[in-house]
Amino acid sequence: MGQLLSGLWGVWQAGRAAAYGIIAGVAVSQPASRRATPTTSEKVANAPLSVVAFNSSIATPTPTSSSSSSSTATTPSTTTTTTTMPSQPQPSQGTTTPSAAPSTSAPSTSTSTSASKPAKQQSSKQAPKPKDNASSAPAGSSDSAALTPAELKKKAKAEKAARRARERADREQPGAAGGAPGTPSAKKGAAGPGAGGKDSAATTGAQQQQQKGQKQAPRRGSAQLSGQPSAAEVKKKQEEKNVSVFGHLYGQQRRTTVAGAGKEVHPAVLALGLQMRDYVVCGSSARCVATLLAFKRVIEAYTTPLGTSLARHLTTHLSHQITYLSTCRPLSISQGNAIRALKLAIASIDPSVPEADAKATLSDFIDSFIREKITVADQVIAGSAAQKIQDGDVVVTFAGSSIVKQTLLTAHKQGKKFRVSIIDSRPLFEGKNLARTLATAGLDVQYSLMNGISHAIKDATKVFLGAHAMTSNGRLYSRVGTALVAMSAKERAGGVEVPVIVCCETVKFTDRVALDSIVVNEIADADELVIAEPVQQLTGLPDPAAPAVELKKGKAAPPPVEPSTASQNMSSPLKDWKDSANLQLLNIMYDVTPAEYVDMVVTEMGSLPPSAVPIVHRMSTNL
Amino acid sequence: MPAPTSGASDAAKPFDIVATYNELLRSDPDLTMPIAAIEALVLLLTHSPSSTISETLDLLEKSTAHLKQSIPNPIGLSAGTDLFQRYLITTLQRPGQLGPAGDFNAIRAHLLSNGRLFIRRAKESRDKIAAFGRGFVRDGSTVLTNGGSRVVASLLQKAADEKGGPSAVRFRVIYVLSSAKHDVDSSGEPEGMQMVRALRAKGVPVATIPESAVAYAMGKADIVIVGAEGVVENGGIVSRMGTYQIGLLAKAMDKPFYCVAESHKFVRIYPLGQYDLPIEQRVIDFKTEEEVADEAKQQQAATPAVRPVNSADSSDVVDFTPPHLISALITDSGVLTPSAVSEELIKIWF
Repeated sequence: MGQLLSGLWGVWQAGRAAAYGIIAGVAVSQPASRRATPTTSEKVANAPLSVVAFNSSIATPTPTSSSSSSSTATTPSTTTTTTTMPSQPQPSQGTTTPSAAPSTSAPSTSTSTSASKPAKQQSSKQAPKPKDNASSAPAGSSDSAALTPAELKKKAKAEKAARRARERADREQPGAAGGAPGTPSAKKGAAGPGAGGKDSAATTGAQQQQQKGQKQAPRRGSAQLSGQPSAAEVKKKQEEKNVSVFGHLYGQQRRTTVAGAGKEVHPAVLALGLQMRDYVVCGSSARCVATLLAFKRVIEAYTTPLGTSLARHLTTHLSHQITYLSTCRPLSISQGNAIRALKLAIASIDPSVPEADAKATLSDFIDSFIREKITVADQVIAGSAAQKIQDGDVVVTFAGSSIVKQTLLTAHKQGKKFRVSIIDSRPLFEGKNLARTLATAGLDVQYSLMNGISHAIKDATKVFLGAHAMTSNGRLYSRVGTALVAMSAKERAGGVEVPVIVCCETVKFTDRVALDSIVVNEIADADELVIAEPVQQLTGLPDPAAPAVELKKGKAAPPPVEPSTASQNMSSPLKDWKDSANLQLLNIMYDVTPAEYVDMVVTEMGSLPPSAVPIVHRMSTNL
Repeated sequence: MPAPTSGASDAAKPFDIVATYNELLRSDPDLTMPIAAIEALVLLLTHSPSSTISETLDLLEKSTAHLKQSIPNPIGLSAGTDLFQRYLITTLQRPGQLGPAGDFNAIRAHLLSNGRLFIRRAKESRDKIAAFGRGFVRDGSTVLTNGGSRVVASLLQKAADEKGGPSAVRFRVIYVLSSAKHDVDSSGEPEGMQMVRALRAKGVPVATIPESAVAYAMGKADIVIVGAEGVVENGGIVSRMGTYQIGLLAKAMDKPFYCVAESHKFVRIYPLGQYDLPIEQRVIDFKTEEEVADEAKQQQAATPAVRPVNSADSSDVVDFTPPHLISALITDSGVLTPSAVSEELIKIWF
């Protein structure tokens, strides 16, 4: 209990830090608002982002209420000091500022050249300032309080319009050299004054600029010439949407198409990658088997190039496939273990063996690996886990583990009379298939969402869980929510007699150690949380339930629901989440269950306490 | 020890494994259940004229199943039979003269001699445990213990023996005596009385308390040492009824709770709780007045021979002490934490 709680506390704490980071970042850009007065709507296309900056600064003193100003450009990403720093230098590169720019007519091109002077002025005597923007935050927030609500509103509107226009422009000329520089550079300019300083006393920002210029040389050049900054821009925008505690997990965006995949990647692997990405192939074991089968086809289609040997070249050939797969979705522990075993098998092939024989050996190896480590292992596990189910049991399970399904079906076939209660969660709803399969097989099934856990656990007598992995400190790494189910069972009043049983093949064991679910995890596309179920609605009112839909964000951040946008799009109130500055969505995939909550791990090598995981892992890998 | 082959009448046509087992247990009070089981199996092999490996294994399997069925509580016993079977298989699979390719008679002779060696070693393990565990009984401490465990007895006696020696240990013992009527041995006194006398004879002050006074007495105790019938895979112990509550009380009062057991008592079962043991125990038996009357009538009608099998309150009832209540297990392979038991078991089995 304590550990889980401390983990949660950590998340909460970090979420709070993220919220602070945003506030601080916004505050830095604040002074700019003094200078800026957006005049015409035409200008919007030209120097729109300066407006953005102002509004964001306005928002600072009361981040909770006036969140409509999004300022994607200025809120320096996520954490307080470290991540904001890179965004600070941009001002000194100074491309445009509102005061300088108004006259410019050609929106996309003109900005970059004229702008540098004002930017310099504003960056002023603050050479060291950008380094610690956190310190400037309080001052900034106090300044902004001077603005009247009416002003705030106006600016918010203008800013939104500007943003829309910019987005439209971006869409119309995606990546085009002409269009792209305009917007991003404008954005930089906007950020400039904010970061530059609180007062406009002009001194030499040149020194600072030089420094920055060195660091940022490529970006600066590109801002003037090519479409590169748009990529950087997008990235930055994305970063702002990342929950900072989990910032290290975002990495690369998941691949969306096969475009750009290397020509070495086999079609079977290409298809599998997309299937894994779309959760068509989902679940640790399924992904492992599918990967191995795809690799079998790769090996069958493989011919060793001249001048190399199979043992040497096939490994690199496979690693192209692996790289592709991992861009579609991070590899599971079981996949990693299987690939390691396969590579070992390849490396141990004698170079003198003819290629056909070697390929046959490898195919056999893959087949027997799947059979031994997964197919038969599943049967053994299902058999021994089913023995633990007795007449009259109420078995609680979470999401849709294939091995748990097999266990329950096995027990049902043995004629045991028991009920199953499936706990499910958004956004994958993996329990639905399980519920249907079990109900079709004739079991008594109750299906409820995670919200109903306290009721579902009330009459539980056993909890069966699947696993993504078991770590070497005996902790269970599984679909997010598992820890909650295990905790509910063990901490229930009189819950000592509710055993939590994990079914897990030894191929899912890893020698890594998990202390919390932050360091190692997987982040899925946050948009998965946004998509609302098409609700059959009879009245004309927006669905009141929709806004409540699991708004998983950095926990301490205040509820930033904008009434205006909420009513605008009925489909999902979160639809525009990317445009509201202080709203982040977190779609985390896994969590870690402490070993104390697990009574037994059923593997194909027998039933173990969680503490025996490392021993068995060592043995099963040494065999 | 003298092989009690005489008990299992030589050259008797059908070798009765159950009778042999019971006879062995009776003839040697120092014998534990797993060892008796192994010894019975060794005797079975000497008597049976099997000539192939698979025949031997088959015979062994059948007799084991038979033995397990005929004994009301086969947990301790199965530790021995499983171990022996495992040992046989590994020996037979080993390459070389004694492997499958070798001469079967040689294999058989080897098995039997090794089986005896195993038994002898198992008996010696008690001394080893006493040596390991002696350090846990500190000078001036009070030990709370229960049951009639022979290992605990040997450990305490070993500690008492050193009284007056260079490493003199003065300690006191609170002995929990079973208050149930049935727990009396042939001499009419509760199980464990013998040990109490032995300890007193050695000058160790012993207090005997009923089970109901455990909580009361726990405050005076420094450590708790109990024996076990079987040590299960998760490091918990299956032991005589009453051990679990002592464990709970010791945990509640933060007293170290040690279990003393030979490593041949490690058994490959994994109970999830009290009611998940692979044996049928009718400890909790709900009855109405009507049913009581019915039963009394039935009992009168029934032959007395049927009775002991059904009796819910025989001295064989056990409970399960989960691993989180146990501080350490003192075994002949060292002092282990509960989680190390599964490691030991896995080492034996794979």
